[in-house]
Amino acid sequence: MASPSIRQTAPPPSRHRTRGVRMRSWYDKTGFWLLLLLPVLITLAVFQFYPLLETLRMGWTDEGARTADPGFVGAQNFERLLTEDPHFWGIVRNSFIWVFLSVILQLVIGTLAALVLNSKIALRSVWRGLLMVPWVTPTVVVGVIWRWIFEGSNSGLANFFLTRLGVFDQPTVFLASEFWVWPVLLFASTWKGVPFVTLLVLAALQGVPQDLHESAAVDGAGRVKRFFHVTIPSIRGTLFTTGMISLVTTWFKFELIWALTNGGPGFATSILPTYVYTWAFNRLEYGMAGAVATLALVIIFVVAAMYALLFRDKES
Amino acid sequence: MTTSQVTGEVIAPRKKRVRPLDLIGRYTALFVLMAFLLLPALWMAFSSLKPNSMLFGSTPDFSLEGVSLDNYRWALRPDGMDMTQLLINTFSTNIMSALLTTVFCAVAGYGLARYKGGLARALVAFLVISQMIQGPMIMVPWYQIAATLDLINTREVLVLIYQTLTIPAAIWLMAGFYRAIPVELEEAAAMDGCSKFGTFWRIILPLSLPGLAAISLYAFILGWNDYQYALILTSSEYSKTLQIGIAQVMNSIGATNWGGILAAGTIAVIPAVIMFSLVQKTLISGLTAGSVKG
Repeated sequence: MASPSIRQTAPPPSRHRTRGVRMRSWYDKTGFWLLLLLPVLITLAVFQFYPLLETLRMGWTDEGARTADPGFVGAQNFERLLTEDPHFWGIVRNSFIWVFLSVILQLVIGTLAALVLNSKIALRSVWRGLLMVPWVTPTVVVGVIWRWIFEGSNSGLANFFLTRLGVFDQPTVFLASEFWVWPVLLFASTWKGVPFVTLLVLAALQGVPQDLHESAAVDGAGRVKRFFHVTIPSIRGTLFTTGMISLVTTWFKFELIWALTNGGPGFATSILPTYVYTWAFNRLEYGMAGAVATLALVIIFVVAAMYALLFRDKES
Repeated sequence: MTTSQVTGEVIAPRKKRVRPLDLIGRYTALFVLMAFLLLPALWMAFSSLKPNSMLFGSTPDFSLEGVSLDNYRWALRPDGMDMTQLLINTFSTNIMSALLTTVFCAVAGYGLARYKGGLARALVAFLVISQMIQGPMIMVPWYQIAATLDLINTREVLVLIYQTLTIPAAIWLMAGFYRAIPVELEEAAAMDGCSKFGTFWRIILPLSLPGLAAISLYAFILGWNDYQYALILTSSEYSKTLQIGIAQVMNSIGATNWGGILAAGTIAVIPAVIMFSLVQKTLISGLTAGSVKG
């Protein structure tokens, strides 16, 4: 790392440009910065992009812990998934339900939370700090927390309130019900995901010019009207980006579902990421796992492109 | 727009008055929000103080009766869940991982902040894709590579894979912190004959210590929060993380010892909360500054 210091001499006048000087100016403007970036780029290429390409390659093979002589099998894995697999289409449907509801809940509640934390309240910075508690809570503990609240017996909080309110006659084992397991998962994902959305929207709200609000108020716009005609357009860009981040990360995240239900009961809450795990680590068929992962990537690519076409701010 | 700006100035003083109804609405909303964010975790912490016999009543137990630390004793002691080893594993793995991330991103973040050439957009795209392509998209090859290199059930493999988790966001954060340092400083140093690397090492880096502290703890928290990679790569006593330990206990003895599991969960949250509160201000401003432009 001592080499840069050798080139410290003042540059000669530009009319005497030599090759060395040009090299030096390239080094100063570009080379030095790229050199700094190089270690990280290599790390990510090796640790991230190489495994990704491996996954995509694997989908076209019959590799697996039980395959004696693995090799390329063409599109066989994909055909098997799309036509023969009894669970695949249900899992695709689950993935869509899970991602859309999670993202919408996170965005709506996150935006409302940001409005609250942006208003004039005492101890605002304390509340903004406490906001992040769910974000720092480890996923398995998120699972513990919500499993405990939705405990299947009388001692669960949810059962206590729902039986009191007369929704149920007797306690329900939420996690064993193909229907009631979804609200539990969505509660958990909203709880865990809202803080980050709130943080981003809060930052955008602080950039909304106050005089816009005031002038709209003078023009007779009520609070709701101002929210939709002043606030929302001003933070539109952030909402779009936040939605995109939350869409893609939720799509590839399997931890939360795994911590709460392991994809069950049966395959009722399995999504594509958990199915990758099932194929790879329960059934030990890596080729099939690669094929599921490849399809997941293709689908989210199409969904993200559609999302961008629909919601991108056309003016900017 | 122009007319409204004019009228906006006229009305400005009137804004100061706050109607009591507004105040009530505002604080009710705050209360509901905080209840949603905090009560679930507090309910875990509260219940963890109660003996199992009281946790399995015919209603949830809201009373202060029977409060004790027995569940915590079970969670930490060798004759119970023995979380001490899990804590040692998780701490040492994540301290290593955070240090590595910090070194990588301290250097690369500066490059990202100052590089303005043609590849800048490609670099950002590369980082964003790395950030988003996680877990299931890379876990099977990672498992195979780790198995080939005999790294399954080691803390080292977790330190390595956590780099994929932490680097993209941490380099982004670090670049943001560096951008806040005026370029004039560097120009002045160059005038005085300081080399580019010397400027970085002697002037920029010392100014960035709060940022470095923030990203190292950020990396620590991200690693502390990981479940999926630890799940496929570690299960042995000396490598598995807290979350693996808790998940195993929950799946094996599950509903028979809720008190102990709730205590274990509470223990697992506390370090992350403490770490976060240490760098809360820098981290929140860094996380938000990077995103607003996007």
